[in-house]
Amino acid sequence: MRSLILFFWKHRFFFLFFILEAVSILLIVSNNSYQRSKFISASNGFSGNILSFYDNSISYFNLKNTNDLLVKENARLRNLLKTSYLKHDTLYHEINDSIYKQHYRYFEAKIISNSFQKRNNYLILNKGSRQGVYPEMGVVTQNGVIGVVHSVSDNFCSVISVLHSKSALDAKLIRTGYTGTITWNGKNYRIGQLENIPSHVDVKQGDTVVTSGYSSLYPEGVLVGMVTKVIKPKGEGFYKIDIRYSVDYNKVEYGYLIFNLLKDEEQKIKEEAEDE
Amino acid sequence: MSNPILRNSFRFLVLVLLQIFVFNRIYLGGYLNPYVYLMFILLLPFETPWWLLLISSFSIGLSVDTLSGSLGIHAAAATLAAFVRPLVIKLMFPKLDRTSHVVPGINFMGIPAFAVYVFIVVFIHHFFLFFLEVFRFSEIVPVLFRIGLSSLLSSALIILLEIIFKSYRKGV
Repeated sequence: MRSLILFFWKHRFFFLFFILEAVSILLIVSNNSYQRSKFISASNGFSGNILSFYDNSISYFNLKNTNDLLVKENARLRNLLKTSYLKHDTLYHEINDSIYKQHYRYFEAKIISNSFQKRNNYLILNKGSRQGVYPEMGVVTQNGVIGVVHSVSDNFCSVISVLHSKSALDAKLIRTGYTGTITWNGKNYRIGQLENIPSHVDVKQGDTVVTSGYSSLYPEGVLVGMVTKVIKPKGEGFYKIDIRYSVDYNKVEYGYLIFNLLKDEEQKIKEEAEDE
Repeated sequence: MSNPILRNSFRFLVLVLLQIFVFNRIYLGGYLNPYVYLMFILLLPFETPWWLLLISSFSIGLSVDTLSGSLGIHAAAATLAAFVRPLVIKLMFPKLDRTSHVVPGINFMGIPAFAVYVFIVVFIHHFFLFFLEVFRFSEIVPVLFRIGLSSLLSSALIILLEIIFKSYRKGV
């Protein structure tokens, strides 16, 4: 026993080092258990407030850019107004709620912290559980997909960016309708990889990629990017495709959180299908 | 600011804030991010007790983690940097008198030796940090590229800051 204590005492520098490293690794692991973890420091109240203070002071410099984007968004939405459509006939129209049930609802959030240069990137938004945010909500901008809500505090939430090693986005090619998965290899923050497209499909440079709507996170048809490079590896059944993201993740300021109003129902039927 | 504890606590605070609000927002070439808070660990006095060295380095790593949302990664890398610091010093200055109240820096080491000292510790820190962040070996080539360039950038900024503050100290 004495010699054991002596041994520990002799190597006390190493043991303290070892304990501190173990604590750090524990923090990393518990923080990375993806959906289950409730504790992410950057979305807790204290640092959330510091970050939003910083963002308040810095966002002034981006006002012009933000205004331009908002004007474009307004114009697009104005195009969708009833008054901007010409009525073709004088027949009576009925809107029946049991036919058109609202499926997705959007609400806006300010991005108060953003990263794109790391291997695993997160964003912090200024909406939290008090505003009805829950984990695994999709987040988009007017230009395309941003990511998925990871954890939520009272007034903030953290979002796993598309630029993350675990990001897997269900997407499809508009022209041919084939679906695949979009991942990110961490090299260039403007370029993503589209996988699982079988090599007999006709894929061309410039094909548009949108969300497939299979994942219940995003509605179908949200823009993701454009095919820039198609490689057909020899002896493999799938293409290697590079896409250029439609969103410049360096410049995002605002996002829209997507409420899936039928999420519970979708999840239930998926679970039932998997149980079979 | 003659008290070393006060001076180092002040440096701790300033470097964390600088790291969060300035250097975390510098992206050269899209993915080069300098980690200047390491300067705190590098400039702690030689006579700092071993446990204080480890614990204060762990704390500055954890502070940077908390404020940038990457829990544990910087804490682990900063602790490793603190662990290798005495070994590097022992290798580079074998005849150092630990009780003579000298602090690491350009005044004591001169620029070339200080640069080597900074780069070794920064490189080991970055190596561990980037691999913890990526956590897979299949992307080893781009990660090594990032480690090399980021280490050069961080070291250059730390040496630059040290030169600026050294001349400031002399002027007063």
